[in-house]
Amino acid sequence: MKITDLETLNAVRRAGLAKLRPGRTRIAVGLGTCGVGNGAEDVYQAFLSAVDAKGIEADIKRVGCFGFCAEEPLVNIAIPGMPLVVLNKVKPRDVDRILDELRKGTVSPERALCKIETWDHLSGAVKDGSDAISGIIAYGKGFPDIPSWDEIGFYKGQKKIVLRNAGLIDAEDIEEYIGVGGYLAALKALHEMQPAKVIEEVRAAKLRGRGGAGFLAATKWDFMRKAPNDGVKYVICNADEGDPGAYMNRNEIESDPHNLIEGMLIGAFAMGASEGIIYVRAEYPLAVHRLEKAVAQAEALGILGDNAMGSGFSFHLRLVEGAGAFVCGEETAMIASLEGMAGRPRPRPPYPAEAGLRGRPTDINNVETWYNVPVIINMGAAWFVRTGTDSSPGTKVFSLVGKVKNTGLVEAPFGTPLKTFVYDIGGGSENGKAIKAVQTGGPSGGCIPPDMFDTAVDYESLAAIGSIMGSGGMVVMDEANCMVDVARYFVEFTHSESCGRCVPCRVGLDHALRILNGVTQGRATEDDLKTLENLARTIRDTSLCGLGQSAPNPVLTTLRYFRHEYEDHIQEKWCAAGVCEDLFLSPCENNCPLHMNIPRFIQLFKENRLEEAFESVVMDNPLPASTGRVCQHPCDDRCRRAGVDQPVNMREIHRYIADSVYGTKTGDRVLKKIQARKLPETGKKVAVVGAGPTGLAAAFYLALLGHKVTVFDENSEAGGMLRFALPEYRLPKAVLAREVAFIEAMGVEFVFNTRIGVDKTPKSLTEEYDTVFLALGTWEAAPADLPGVQCEGVMHALHFLDKVSHNEEIRLGQKVVVIGGGNAAIDSARTAKRLGADVTIVYRRTRLDMPAIPEEVIEAEEEGVNIVFLAAPHRIIADGQGRVKAIECVKTVLGEFGKTGRRRPVPTDEVASITCDSVILAIGERVDSVFTGGSLLTLNKDGTIRVDRHTAETSMKDVFAGGDVVQGASNVSNAMSHGKRAAEVIDSRLMGEDRFQQLFKPFEYKNDTPAEPQGGERNISATVPAKERANCFNEVMLGYSMAQARHEAERCLRCDAKGECEVA
Amino acid sequence: MSKQVKLKIDGEYVTAEAGQMVLEVARANGKFIPALCYIDGLKGLGACRLCLVEVTGIGRLLPACTTPVQDGMSIVTSSPRLAECRKMIMELLLSERNHICSVCVSNGNCELQTLAAELGVNHVQFPYRYPKLPVDASHERFVVDHNRCVLCSRCVRVCREVEGANTWSIISRGINAMLAADLNEPWGGSSSCTNCGKCFEACPTGAIAMKGKAVGENAKRAERIARLVNARGGAQ
Repeated sequence: MKITDLETLNAVRRAGLAKLRPGRTRIAVGLGTCGVGNGAEDVYQAFLSAVDAKGIEADIKRVGCFGFCAEEPLVNIAIPGMPLVVLNKVKPRDVDRILDELRKGTVSPERALCKIETWDHLSGAVKDGSDAISGIIAYGKGFPDIPSWDEIGFYKGQKKIVLRNAGLIDAEDIEEYIGVGGYLAALKALHEMQPAKVIEEVRAAKLRGRGGAGFLAATKWDFMRKAPNDGVKYVICNADEGDPGAYMNRNEIESDPHNLIEGMLIGAFAMGASEGIIYVRAEYPLAVHRLEKAVAQAEALGILGDNAMGSGFSFHLRLVEGAGAFVCGEETAMIASLEGMAGRPRPRPPYPAEAGLRGRPTDINNVETWYNVPVIINMGAAWFVRTGTDSSPGTKVFSLVGKVKNTGLVEAPFGTPLKTFVYDIGGGSENGKAIKAVQTGGPSGGCIPPDMFDTAVDYESLAAIGSIMGSGGMVVMDEANCMVDVARYFVEFTHSESCGRCVPCRVGLDHALRILNGVTQGRATEDDLKTLENLARTIRDTSLCGLGQSAPNPVLTTLRYFRHEYEDHIQEKWCAAGVCEDLFLSPCENNCPLHMNIPRFIQLFKENRLEEAFESVVMDNPLPASTGRVCQHPCDDRCRRAGVDQPVNMREIHRYIADSVYGTKTGDRVLKKIQARKLPETGKKVAVVGAGPTGLAAAFYLALLGHKVTVFDENSEAGGMLRFALPEYRLPKAVLAREVAFIEAMGVEFVFNTRIGVDKTPKSLTEEYDTVFLALGTWEAAPADLPGVQCEGVMHALHFLDKVSHNEEIRLGQKVVVIGGGNAAIDSARTAKRLGADVTIVYRRTRLDMPAIPEEVIEAEEEGVNIVFLAAPHRIIADGQGRVKAIECVKTVLGEFGKTGRRRPVPTDEVASITCDSVILAIGERVDSVFTGGSLLTLNKDGTIRVDRHTAETSMKDVFAGGDVVQGASNVSNAMSHGKRAAEVIDSRLMGEDRFQQLFKPFEYKNDTPAEPQGGERNISATVPAKERANCFNEVMLGYSMAQARHEAERCLRCDAKGECEVA
Repeated sequence: MSKQVKLKIDGEYVTAEAGQMVLEVARANGKFIPALCYIDGLKGLGACRLCLVEVTGIGRLLPACTTPVQDGMSIVTSSPRLAECRKMIMELLLSERNHICSVCVSNGNCELQTLAAELGVNHVQFPYRYPKLPVDASHERFVVDHNRCVLCSRCVRVCREVEGANTWSIISRGINAMLAADLNEPWGGSSSCTNCGKCFEACPTGAIAMKGKAVGENAKRAERIARLVNARGGAQ
């Protein structure tokens, strides 16, 4: 049978609809390449055999992909009269249960992703005899517990025009395509419309090329139509999708190949082209297979070929498989490739529309452009332009991949802001790490930072910020992605795909890659960066084709938005993301602010060399026992052992080493050894202000370097926050005192009870000392904008903790409310609990957003601290005497994602009052304003001291600063890293040479990596039971036993060992 | 007779025939536009990117050798931006292979050398790549030294478009692109080569050299190509 008119088409359509709504259950398995890769073929086979075995009446179908890659394999089930239900992550073993439920006429909601009650296949309505049939399929209503497809995060905000049939119809069955209104548009165009009218409609729809450049399709088509009709004209579909991470076209073809054929047929008719070619990647075998089948089916029905659909117009379509060169996606290179030559582009003009394939007029459009054509003809341009923006109507399909929860194929209207893709559709970060950038447009696109996520995704807006739309790749990156490495990776790609014809792309990219390799390997200089930037601009401005012109985009955008990462690599030889392996020893060392050689002390400990292990530890970190208790342990976050089971507990190991050595003879020996290593006295005097972790670290190294170091502090004891803010149960004073004594033994002098800013100023110190290092910390409470804060019984967390540590009496009362979610809040709450109060923490976000160490939060709860999430203080209510009586809190809900990648808490109308006797505010600290006011130093807006990022120099000569006074309230290891780094810089300034490394001696130890992960699961340090600990200040975490420490050390995978590997 | 068009080059009005390329017209009017892959008598390729010019109203730089003149067009052939781009491209070319003039047969007769001097390239900011490339001396009359090749493909095009032998082609991609005879065979063994020597005349550097020449002796007459083409009735 041939389709020649509406009647013959409708006959096939009825047959197709009967397959789609067979009057019995239809089970359709998503079998795109993505589904097959996730095991959908097995699921399909399991359904086939199980329905037979169970004797269930059901049709089992193969369909394309419904887009949600992260949830593959997807199976949709349509019970007659009920909504179509999409099941996610279906495994062959689930099949039996699904069928058992189906036998009862139901689908269990736990298994279901979403449901579809009605679906519009966008074909408009047509007459079939006396009935009107439309592309709208009403499956039915029901399953109230299953969310509708457009209510779940991933699909909400999406609009399916291009993908209207994907995942719903059998891609290999032309009848199903016709069933949902396929080839209706072609019939209409070929029989009822003039070619010019078709182009007019496409022009009115402002359809822009979806391949990346966004050129108006109708303009190109018009050129073609007007080109002389003295021979053959060609239409070509560009399906040479080669961007890494992009698979829009593959999925479109695999799911709905006839849509492409119909689009091309209409286009060919409009342009008067009798020959069509689909240039498709050979790497897409399934797409090729389905297209070949589709073309044969369309030919069999008389849709393609001579006298197509009985209209008198002839159109022959064939496939050509591309051999895999990325540059062949460029139209002139593609033409060269089709002509049998090497795929190299040539300059335009002449444009392909004048002289293309074999010199004949040729039109090339992207797969997705063609997909939009039948819809425009069916639904009309007026309907089409209602979606998207004024200049770019319609939708665009993106492949959303990378570090988001929901990866998949996303079709959204033009103009949708980037943050919708990342946070709403993508569901935000996949693992809690902060999202750092989105790369749009494939290897030639740009990297966009989160503070620009409001940017609308359309051709003009993306170009304005240095990126491109490209064909629709969208890669989300988080803090574990190094932006220099990202740029390097993409340049490596374009470098290897450059055709070599024009000089800037061929040679320029080679030099760009060399420089980028240099940056990632720590060999580059600031001058290299300037050269790179100039070179990238020249390549962009002078290359012959789109490949070269856009190849520098990743470099230019990362240089623009992430320059500090390049600078870190060059100046600090540090890759914050821990990607550039040449710059670090191991991921844990790289992520440790102090860059402790962690694998080394673990190995020494494993070899029973405790003394040397301690020496290694203490030289890297002069407060190992304290940090061993209270560090935020960023080393855990990057430990590769986490890929096996859990990260190695490096913090507890160095605590164990330190605890077993301090105060023993071994400790004395190490102390003497290190004292002996002290460099000769230099005669230089250094004043360190603040005896907190930053100051102590700086003093330790400076003293070892031979300088005379005096540490000033306003308190009567050293330790700073460690001594006066951290409660005894977390860090016993005796532990800290031992470590301070160790540092003092290096020749550090302490001057207590001296407040800089009052007793002395930085300026006056520079008169007495060669160098001054300011490490005052942040001791002043951030002002709270809260009615009632002046009431009696309201105090700031730091003041509270400070008073407790000084053993001052505090009138807390029975009930205490703590506001905040950081470590200070948890410390205050647990301390108040120990003082006998009934404690409630109020935090405006959720548990996952809490900045406090998670273990601490859990311990607090164990001790009976109550935590109220999603509530913000509204006002504090006082009694008649002006003392706190209650606190009113508003319930919050999480709103839009802020620039930090966390959702903003939005207050609601719901207010709750909590009666209490005291309120402790733990909502942030700032630098002592008495000090900064008189310091004469240049400050940042938040009151912190402004310093050079790399050298810690302040605006005042010979004055350096570090720690919280520079970075704002942070944590102990960050603070100490500032002190350590400052000591290095101060010494090299004082002495005119780099001597810091002379302090460290090499250790000899074994470098074997375990063949198999050893030691089992992560060891948990013993804690005092909650009941026993909650009313006293005894230490909670007891630390490892020797056996535990040994086992834990065995678990290390020795990522630092980079010897030759044996190849079996 | 084709249509006459009027355009402005560096502010001066000139007339040209429709279909002519900007480079031809500019040169006919005494303007200097550097070019390396362009050779009189052959169609432009737009590969070396040295002949880029500014066209008023178009943000992108366009290659003069493949941009046809249009009525009312206004061209700028030299500007600080163009000078910077051309200089950098020349530096890229010089850094790509082993262009050591002092030991080159074409020293003093080399278009690359002349252009570098004209563009004021007195140093190269990029490290020299110094690839180790072969020298093919298998042909009885000529030598191909790939170390001196700039991949302008003038030899390829003259062989195809004028001689019709199609001996030469460029193989591989990107920085690995190489000139190759037939199916990447030694030139001396080529069955298609007619030994006509047009590639030698067309080559702008010492990459294709005549055997038996010492340093500086390898003079070429590229204008012979245009003469031959004109004698046959113009470019195809």
